[in-house]
Amino acid sequence: MSENIVILMISVSTFLGALGLIALLWGVKTGQFDDQSKFIDAARYDGEEELRDAAMMQEKKEEQKKKREAKEKEKNYMPPD
Amino acid sequence: MAQIACTHCNLVFDESVMITEHPQGDVSSVPDSQTLHFCCKGCQGVYHLLGSEGLSTFYDKLGDTTLQPANQDISADLEKFDLEGFKNKYIKTTQEGLSQIHLIIEGIHCSACVWLNEKVLHKTDGVIEASINYTNNKAKVVWDPEEVKLSKIIETIRAIGYNAYPYDPSLQEERANKTKKEYYLRILVAVFGTMNIMWIAIAHYAGYFTGMQQNFKDILNVAEFILATPVLFYSGWIFFRGAYFGFKNKIVNMDTLVASGALSAYIYSIYAMISQHGEVYFDSVVMIITFVLVGKYLEVLSKKHAVDTLDSIMGSTPTEVTTLKEGVKSLVSIENVQVGDIIELKPGEKVVIDGIVTSGQGSFDESSLTGENQPIYKQKNDAILSGSLCLDSVVHYKASKDVSGSLLTSIVSLLEESITKKPHIEQLANNISGYFSNIILLIALLTFTGWYFVNGSFETALIVGISVIVIACPCALGLATPMATLVGISIAAKRGILFKEATFLETMAKSKVLALDKTGTLTEGKPSVVQAALFEGFAPALLLALVETSNHPVSKGIVRYLKQENNGLTTIQLEHIKSIEAKGIEATFKGKKLLGGNAALLQERGIAVDVTSENSLFYFALDQTLLARFELSDTIREGAKEAISNIQALGIKVMMLTGDHEQSAQKVAKAVGIEEVHAKLLPQEKSALIQNFQNKGEVVVMVGDGINDAIALAQSNIAIAMGQGADVAINVSDVVLLDEKPQSIFDAYKISRRTFTAVKENLGFSLLYNVIAVPLAVAGFVNPLIAALSMSLSSLVVVGNSMRIKMIKFKENNV
Repeated sequence: MSENIVILMISVSTFLGALGLIALLWGVKTGQFDDQSKFIDAARYDGEEELRDAAMMQEKKEEQKKKREAKEKEKNYMPPD
Repeated sequence: MAQIACTHCNLVFDESVMITEHPQGDVSSVPDSQTLHFCCKGCQGVYHLLGSEGLSTFYDKLGDTTLQPANQDISADLEKFDLEGFKNKYIKTTQEGLSQIHLIIEGIHCSACVWLNEKVLHKTDGVIEASINYTNNKAKVVWDPEEVKLSKIIETIRAIGYNAYPYDPSLQEERANKTKKEYYLRILVAVFGTMNIMWIAIAHYAGYFTGMQQNFKDILNVAEFILATPVLFYSGWIFFRGAYFGFKNKIVNMDTLVASGALSAYIYSIYAMISQHGEVYFDSVVMIITFVLVGKYLEVLSKKHAVDTLDSIMGSTPTEVTTLKEGVKSLVSIENVQVGDIIELKPGEKVVIDGIVTSGQGSFDESSLTGENQPIYKQKNDAILSGSLCLDSVVHYKASKDVSGSLLTSIVSLLEESITKKPHIEQLANNISGYFSNIILLIALLTFTGWYFVNGSFETALIVGISVIVIACPCALGLATPMATLVGISIAAKRGILFKEATFLETMAKSKVLALDKTGTLTEGKPSVVQAALFEGFAPALLLALVETSNHPVSKGIVRYLKQENNGLTTIQLEHIKSIEAKGIEATFKGKKLLGGNAALLQERGIAVDVTSENSLFYFALDQTLLARFELSDTIREGAKEAISNIQALGIKVMMLTGDHEQSAQKVAKAVGIEEVHAKLLPQEKSALIQNFQNKGEVVVMVGDGINDAIALAQSNIAIAMGQGADVAINVSDVVLLDEKPQSIFDAYKISRRTFTAVKENLGFSLLYNVIAVPLAVAGFVNPLIAALSMSLSSLVVVGNSMRIKMIKFKENNV
C-alpha cells in the first residue's frame, strides 16, 4: 500500500465527514433545531402546500428587499448638474 | 339531553345551549353529521373565517384536541399596540428597516394551532417572517411597518381564536439561548474531531506494537494534527477565555489547567510530528476538551431550564393596568402609573403595583408571597402587595409606589442579581484544582531548569519538562471531577431533579442539616377535601357547576374532589352567578337557588350549620336545604414521612421552618416525624436561623417554594425549590425538584453523596497515578509506550469509575 492511497482515503473520508458537520452546524445556526416538538411535526405537515407557502414567504422577502432598494435609489438620486 | 362537541373548540356542552347551524339552510336535507354546533359566537366566527380563507384543513390536523373557546371581543384595546410607548418598549427595528416583535401566543394546545397561526400570519400582507415555538408558545414576527400595523397583526391572531401579548425577550433568555447554541456548536465540532482522531489513533497504536514505517506515521500525525487544531482552538476556546480571565484576576482555575494541559500536549505533539521522533498526543488533547466541554454544557442546559420557567411566569404578569382618572377608565402601561393613581382590579387579575384599597372589598391570594394558602380578605385602607392575586371581586386601589418600587419588581431584580452571582463554594472548589495546577506547573518548570543545567541540552530539557505536564495533568485529574458530576447530574435530571451547577452536588454531599418549609414543601400548599358529609338530594353536577365559576382555592379544592369522586360529570349552565366577597357564591338553576360558601354566609341566609372543626369548612345548600358539608385542609404530600425518615437515617438533622402558627406546624411535624420545629418565623428570621447554623460550621440545605422562603434560600448553602413554586424561589435556588415529591429530596442527597464518593475515588486514583508518574517523568524515564498506555488507562479508569454511579439503586426500582 502506498502512502498516496492512505492520504487519499483519510482526506476523502474526512472531507465527506466535514461536509456533514458543516451542514449540521448551518442547521443549528439558522435555528432549525430550536423547537423540538415542531421539528418532529414538520415531517407531518410537509406537502406541496407547505412548499408553496415557503416559496411565497421567500418571494415576499425579496419583493420587500427590492422595494427598499428602489426607495434608497430614489432617495440618493441626484439630478445631474 | 345529548352532549355535543363544539365544531370549533371541541369542548362538550349540552345541545340545548349550543348555537346550531345547518350549512345549506335546509334542515331536512342535511345529514346529522353535517350539522354544525358552536358553543359561542366566537367559535362560530372563527369557523367561518377559516372556511372562507381555505384553511379548514386545520380541523383535520386538530383531531380530538380541545381548544379554548374563541374570544368574541377581538378589537378590545387594539389601539395600544400602535402607541409610541409600546413601540419603544417591545418593537425592535432590524437592519433592513423592518419591525420585529416577540409575542407569547395564548391558547396554543397542539401542533395544529401552531400551523394555523403561522399560516394565517404568512398570508397577511406585509408580514415577512413569522415563526412560533411550540414548546414555549413564543413567537417571533417580522413585518414591514409601512404595509401593515401591529394592531392589525394582533387582530388577525385574535380573529382566529387566539390571543397574543408581547414580552420582552429580556436579555436573560436571549443570552441563555445564545450560550446554549454556542456550546452546542462547539461540542459538535469537538465530537467530530474526537471520533475521527480515535479512528486514526487506533491505526497509530496498532502500528506502534507491530511496527510502522515513519512515512506512514507522518501521514497519520498530520491527519490528527489537522483534526485536532479546530477542536483545540474552536471548541476549546471557552477554556482559553476562562484561563485568560482567571489570569487577569490572578486566579488559577480549572480552565487554566485544561487550557495549559491541552495546549502543552498540543505543542509537544507538533514538535514530535516535525522532529519525527516521539509520539503525538493529539488524541488526549481532543479527549479532554470534549469531555470537559460536555460537562459544562449540561450545566448551561439546566440553567436555561430555570430561566424558561421564570420567563413564562413573568410573561403572565400584566403589562398594563386600568386606571381611573376623573371617572374615566383607561389602560395605562405599568411604567406610566404614578403614585396616587387609582387602579381598578378585576377578579383573577394579578397585582403588579403596591397600593391601598380605596373602595370595594375582596379576597386576595397571597400564597406566592407568604406561603399562606388561606385567602386574605381586604377592605378599605388595607394594603395590597404586588404579586398577590385578586380572587373574586372588583377593587379600586390607590398606588402607593410606582412599578419599579413595588415588591414584585424589586424581588425580580434581586433574583436576576443572584443568577449572575456565583456562590463562594464553587470558587473554593476551583481553588483546590488551582493549587494542583500551580504545583504541576512549578514542577515542570523546575524539571526543565534542572535538566537544562545538568544536561545542557535545551531540547531534552524542554521535552522532559513538557512531558511532566502532559503526563500529570490532562486526562485523569482533569476528568476526575467533571466526569463524575456529569454522570451525577444526568441521573438526577432523569429523576426530575435539576442541579443548576455541577459543584452543588459536592456541596450537598457535605451537608448535615436540612431545613424544610411547611406550606407547599411538606404539604401540597392548597386545600383539599379531607372529609365530606353528603345529605339526601345532593347533586354533584350542580355543585361542580357552581364552584367552577370561582377562582378561590377552596372552590378549586372542591372541584378537584368532585372530579375525582365522580366520573364524567355533565356541564350545567347556571344563571345569575354572583360571588359574595370572601364568603361564597350563589346562582340559580331552573328557578332553584344554589348557595355555596362558608358558615357565615349560610347562617346569614338562615341555614343552621355545624361549625365545629379545626379545618376550613364549605357548605352547599339548595333552596335553603343543606345538602353537603366539606372539611378542607392542606394535605401532606405523599411519601413525606417516609422521605424524612430516610433522610434522618443518613445522619442528617431535619428541621422545619415555617411562618405558620405553632399549632398547625406541630401537627404537620408530628405527622411526618420532624422533631425540631421553628414556627411563626418571618422571612428574615428564617434566614437568621440558617446563618446561625452556618456560624457553627454546618452546611445547610434549605427546601422551600415561596417568595417568603427566598431570603432563607439565598442564605443557605444549597437551596432546593419546588418546580411549581414561586419564580423567585426557583431563581435563587441551586436545585429544582420538578416532580415536587419529598422523596426527591432524599434522592438528591443520595445522588450527591454517591457522586461525591466517586469524585473522591477518582481524585485519589489520579493523585496516586500522579505520584507514581510525575517522578518518573521528572527523571526522564517516560518513554512513549508508558505515556500512551498510562494516559489511556488512567482516563479509562476514571470514566469507568464514574459510570458506576449509574448503578445507584432507588427505592421504586427495587419493588
